[in-house]
Amino acid sequence: MHFHEPTSLDEAVALLASGGARCLAGGASLVPLMTAGAMRPEHLVSLRRIAGLDAITVDADGGVTIGAMATHARVAACDLLTGGNAAVREAAGQIAHPAIRTMGTMGGALAFAEPSADYPCAVMAADAAVVARGPLGRRTIPADAFFVGAMVTVLQPGEVVEALALPPARPGEAGAYLKFSRVDGDFATACIAVRLALADGAVTGARVAVGGCAPIPYRVPEAEMALVGAPLDPAAVERLGAAYAEAADPPSDFRGSAEFRRMILPGLIGRAVARAAARLTGDDR
Amino acid sequence: MNALDPLLTKTVGGSVGQTMSRLEAWEKACGAAVYTGDMVLPGLLHGAVLTSPHPHARIRGYDLTAALALPGVKAIITGDDVEDRYMGLCVKDETVLARHKVRYIGEIVAAVAATTPEIARAAADLIRVDYEELPAVFTVEDAMAPGAPVLHEAFDAYAKIYDASTRTAPNELSNSRLVKGDVAAGFARSDVVVERVYETSAQYHAYLEPSVALASVDGRGKVTVWSSTQSVFRTQANLNECLGIPMAKIRCIAPRIGGGFGGKSESMVQPLAVALALKSGRPVRVVLSREEDMVTQRARHPARIRVKTGALADGSLVAREVEAWFDGGAYADDSPAVMNFALFFAAGPYRFDDVDIRGHAVYTNKLRSGAFRGFGNPQATFAGECQIDEVAEALGMDPVALRLKNLIEPGDRWIGGQVITNSGLRESLEAVVRESRWHERKTAAKAAPVPAASASGTRRGLGVALTAHVCGFLSTGAVVRLAQDGSIALNTGAVDLGQGSDTVLAQMCAGALGLTVDDINVVAPDTDASPYNSGTNCSRVTYMVGRAVSIAAESVRAQMAALAAGMLDCPEEEVELREGGLMGVRGGNRTVTFAQIAAKSLWFADGGGPVIGAGSVMHNEPLDPKHTLLSGMVSFDNVGAFVFGAQVADVEIDEVTGKVEVKEAWCAHDVGRAINPGAVEGQIQGGFVQGLGWALTEEMVWDGGRLANPTFHDYKLPSTLDVPHDIHAIVLEVPEPSHPFGAKGIGEPPLVGAGAVIANAVAAAAPRVRKLPILPERMLRALRFGEDGVGG
Amino acid sequence: MSGPMVAVQMTVNGEPVAVATVVERTLLDVLRDDLGLTGTKNGCGMGACGACNVLIDGVAHRACLSLAVTVAGRSVTTVEGLAEGGQPSVVQQAFLDAGAIQCGFCMPGMIVSATELLANNPRPSREEIRVGLSGNLCRCSGYVKVVEAVELAARRLPAR
Repeated sequence: MHFHEPTSLDEAVALLASGGARCLAGGASLVPLMTAGAMRPEHLVSLRRIAGLDAITVDADGGVTIGAMATHARVAACDLLTGGNAAVREAAGQIAHPAIRTMGTMGGALAFAEPSADYPCAVMAADAAVVARGPLGRRTIPADAFFVGAMVTVLQPGEVVEALALPPARPGEAGAYLKFSRVDGDFATACIAVRLALADGAVTGARVAVGGCAPIPYRVPEAEMALVGAPLDPAAVERLGAAYAEAADPPSDFRGSAEFRRMILPGLIGRAVARAAARLTGDDR
Repeated sequence: MNALDPLLTKTVGGSVGQTMSRLEAWEKACGAAVYTGDMVLPGLLHGAVLTSPHPHARIRGYDLTAALALPGVKAIITGDDVEDRYMGLCVKDETVLARHKVRYIGEIVAAVAATTPEIARAAADLIRVDYEELPAVFTVEDAMAPGAPVLHEAFDAYAKIYDASTRTAPNELSNSRLVKGDVAAGFARSDVVVERVYETSAQYHAYLEPSVALASVDGRGKVTVWSSTQSVFRTQANLNECLGIPMAKIRCIAPRIGGGFGGKSESMVQPLAVALALKSGRPVRVVLSREEDMVTQRARHPARIRVKTGALADGSLVAREVEAWFDGGAYADDSPAVMNFALFFAAGPYRFDDVDIRGHAVYTNKLRSGAFRGFGNPQATFAGECQIDEVAEALGMDPVALRLKNLIEPGDRWIGGQVITNSGLRESLEAVVRESRWHERKTAAKAAPVPAASASGTRRGLGVALTAHVCGFLSTGAVVRLAQDGSIALNTGAVDLGQGSDTVLAQMCAGALGLTVDDINVVAPDTDASPYNSGTNCSRVTYMVGRAVSIAAESVRAQMAALAAGMLDCPEEEVELREGGLMGVRGGNRTVTFAQIAAKSLWFADGGGPVIGAGSVMHNEPLDPKHTLLSGMVSFDNVGAFVFGAQVADVEIDEVTGKVEVKEAWCAHDVGRAINPGAVEGQIQGGFVQGLGWALTEEMVWDGGRLANPTFHDYKLPSTLDVPHDIHAIVLEVPEPSHPFGAKGIGEPPLVGAGAVIANAVAAAAPRVRKLPILPERMLRALRFGEDGVGG
Repeated sequence: MSGPMVAVQMTVNGEPVAVATVVERTLLDVLRDDLGLTGTKNGCGMGACGACNVLIDGVAHRACLSLAVTVAGRSVTTVEGLAEGGQPSVVQQAFLDAGAIQCGFCMPGMIVSATELLANNPRPSREEIRVGLSGNLCRCSGYVKVVEAVELAARRLPAR
């Protein structure tokens, strides 16, 4: 195995163009696979020496760009991630354990596309976009279109995550992330991320994404739309939860059966939506 | 303290009863403690294992060509390299590695020694084994069905330590029964009869240090083995049995051990390391990966237990009938003993007149089940104590009141006939009721019944359980020697797994001789040098080894007193032991130091030679066949002293997810006398949390014969955030008259009650779940559909 | 494992060290096998247990998830490097005094996590301690005395 530490993204992309190359971000997911003998790339291309790739910056329009190499710990502590983007910050703070959050990265987690991971549904609810760089240049992929299947994304061979672009935090908007796992630090049995907008007591926008209950995180746009234009009443939230349970394609594994995941989804969605709403109405904490 | 009981050894100084940190705590805190995996020897080779992908198959042959061709490979062993020599505690049914057949997925079929771990791993993966697959059975029901595939065709020829004549099916390992009185008559006169089935799942020991052994062979063919073991003597016996090496040529040593919990009592990796060392002629270290450890070693028995209890309307318990099925997995290991031990506790610490308890241990094509902290009693206590609550409910009684009315008292006899000499049981129950404010909380809960769907989406429940256990078993020795400078060498052969026995034994030795633990050199367990010790299990070290230490120390004291009498020119009866390594004349100021006495013994013609004291102990308290009819049982000649306790848990249930969280727990245990109170608290808290994991989060899940969650990512131990901080360890001291310092063992009891107390707390607020662990899914199905997890 | 050896220079417990390693090897492998620093333990090899936690540039990391080649130029502190002049650090002494240590196999990682936690937050709440140690599995203690040890250390450390 050969090790490369390019100092620019262009150089990294060029190295990754060769067959048998694999991109190394924080290593939290890739290294144990290598240790277990499940993965033996011929070339390992580390992104850690690329200046600025871990930056978290505010864009001209108020949006926030998180560099691919930003660790979960930094994202979890980032006070730029407010309002509707709070779900991303909260998700980062619940990934695995403290000493893994110091090394695991946003880009690595997105590219890994583990169905029960925290980030995927959070970035989808937040209406983020993945900025990717490859041999053909840079492209921006809406989170809704980024995940293809379990552990599979639209990234092409040689393409890497450069950053995550989040929309501006708009007034009247709040986000929330809710994870249910067997024990602390486990992958999610089910996780919910919400970006919710209210005006004069009525819903003006809602994005709800669910993880752990299908090969990829998913939204049910019709159910989200059904909330818009009315206050958040319990019956409406119940219909929302039912629609997501219906749309789920959950696995049955040692974290719970498919039926169990469908059973808990409506209640969890209700809690996640209520948490976001409470942040707007001042009932939070 | 001595005033409590005249039988207690007189202690001098403050060593006994003092909280102190482990003797070896500093080396553990600074990273200097040496565990087996930290050791290297010149020319060391590294081992790797190949495991079976089939749950049941005949081995037709091996192709080692590619593996042997790999540069760096020095030895490979397969079933062809070993003879038909068998090991096992209860049934000798295991060879060094699979021979002729494999019986579970994960069974070790070959091992490689190579110059690096990577080469060894790669070579193991290149070994080709030709299997002929056989039908397999994964459940007790399937294994017991007529015509089921037979795991051990030669079972009848195996050596056993119990009566196997009562077996009813080829895969039934053992079939045991204890009967007292007439249960049919008892149920007939009962006003209330409750009958339910309870189930528990396989739990992995999850000692933080995976199994490891390092073996080397000297020029005379003597084998030395450093390993993570609970008994150097048990390891020596295993090696002797399965490899045919005379014990005179086997030396076993235990360095620091990273936890055992029962999982390291029998030796699995040591024979591999020795066989590879013998074949390669070089030292070999075998370290299992976590996943290998999980799929190859052992687990707590999954159990299915039917319990029927009869009571009078006034709350008097009358009759108890039990039938238990223990899934033993592919090899017997400790299964018959574990199952028998469960039966011994299946009637609980209650005064039943009529008892009929039956049990079966059964082979299946899964990982072997074996000893695990509690040794079958946690399963029995879960079933029995849940049922006591169900009887209380049927009678309309408070669960505490029902227990107080029926609990066993000093003078009563246990099933089997042992007389309970003393007991902190009632005090334990009263303590947890008081400390948890049981009655206040129950009154408050009654005043505010749980609504169908609470606003918070959570509900709270408070539960209680009693624990009964014994500490003791088998034989043990101790040697105490006076060193030239007046310090003491204490040698017991008892392995400290981390629970603190080195410290506690040193405290007892120091207390008997008026010294501090700094004066005691605790000798590391070594079969070449140490007196026999059956092992660190059965909560036995403080109790059994403590007795041997006392005898040996008393002998040293008497020898020193005789020498001192001559040196002080006074009658021996007037010599007394004084604190700080001195002997003096009673009522006077004249003293001699231990160093002076040692010098006298070693250098002077009339000194008599080195001062050495030895103690040997075997607990002898056989079951009484006139009191209880017994059949199919492992020998229960030396049970030990009874240890009682009570626990209360406060749980919160999430109505949306079914997740159960323990918010607070109270654990009161009668330890006789706490030699090191802080260490006792650590045993109580740690044992309760290991039981909490068994009750709520830990389940080895099998997909057919394959373990579906063989990693720490997928099999979840509780972390700090999954357990309460408020686990109140209430240490009660009712001195045990059979122990020189009044002490009893506390290693297992805190875990024994955890499943029951948590399940009872859950049932106080929600429909009862009768299967452990109470995973969120099981809890939610109980809340939504009233399902109890068993289908009973 | 094959491929070229990579020269890696780093600082370990204050001393500069140079090792040559293949790319696949982790910091845990290098610490234990090349540098003889066996205090750092391998409990699971996949980042789940925390027994291998070390500080890299003052931040707790899993040594089993860190390829040694990625630590080049950085400063590593293992459990062996916490004591000063053979004297236990305040955190180590508190673990002794609180009776938190049983089998000890998790302790190197646990004490490293506690050291990092207190360096960043000298007066943590009990809940902050529980969060800070949540990635370190202990099978012996039930965590009660471990948490109390960190509370004790916090009381003894000078406030900033």
